[in-house]
Amino acid sequence: MRLTLTHFEAALVFSLFASVVLGIVTKKTDRERLRYGARCFAYFVGSLFVVGWLMYLGHG
Amino acid sequence: MANAVAVAEAPVSPGKWLPAVALAWFVPGGGHFLLRKHGRGGLIALSVGVLFLLGIMMRGPMFHPQTGDLLTTIIYCGGFIADLANGVLYFLATWLGYAQPDVAGHVHDYGSKFLVAAGLLNILAMVDAYEIATGKKD
Repeated sequence: MRLTLTHFEAALVFSLFASVVLGIVTKKTDRERLRYGARCFAYFVGSLFVVGWLMYLGHG
Repeated sequence: MANAVAVAEAPVSPGKWLPAVALAWFVPGGGHFLLRKHGRGGLIALSVGVLFLLGIMMRGPMFHPQTGDLLTTIIYCGGFIADLANGVLYFLATWLGYAQPDVAGHVHDYGSKFLVAAGLLNILAMVDAYEIATGKKD
C-alpha cells in the first residue's frame, strides 16, 4: 500500500502528532497538556499558512 | 546575606530509571506503560507508531551513517540515530526487508522526515519516562 499526501496534508499530520507528544512531555496536568497541545497545533497550522503565503508572494 | 545552601540532589540509581528508559526506546510508549501512565503511553505509542507507519507508506528512505564534510556527517549520522530511536519499529521494518532507495519526489522526502520525526518524538518520550522514573515529574 502506497500513500501520497500533499504538502499541506503531510504538514497537518506532522503538526497533529508532534503537538500531541509535545503536550504530553512538557506539562504536568492533563488540562495543561491539552491546552499546550492545542496551542502548539494552532501555532504549527498558523505558521504553515504564513510561510505558505510568504513563499507564494516571494515567487511573484 | 541569606544563607544559600546548595542542596545537591541525591543521585538516582540507574536501576530505577534504566528499565523504563530502555523500554521507552524499544517500544514507543512502553516506558510510560511500565510506570503505569497508561493514557500518556497510549498516546505516545499512537503518535510515534502512526508517524512511522505513514513514513513507511510514503516510501521514505531510512538514513545510513555516512561521513564526509561536517554537514553530511550531521545529517546522515543524525538521521540514522533518529531512525534508530524508533526502536522495534525500525528493527521490524529493516528485518522485513524495507530498504527504500533515496529517490527524488516530495512524497518520499516527507516520508523520510516522518520516520525521523517519529524517532525524535520517541526520544522526547524517553526523556519524559526518565523524569517520571526519577521523581522529577509526576
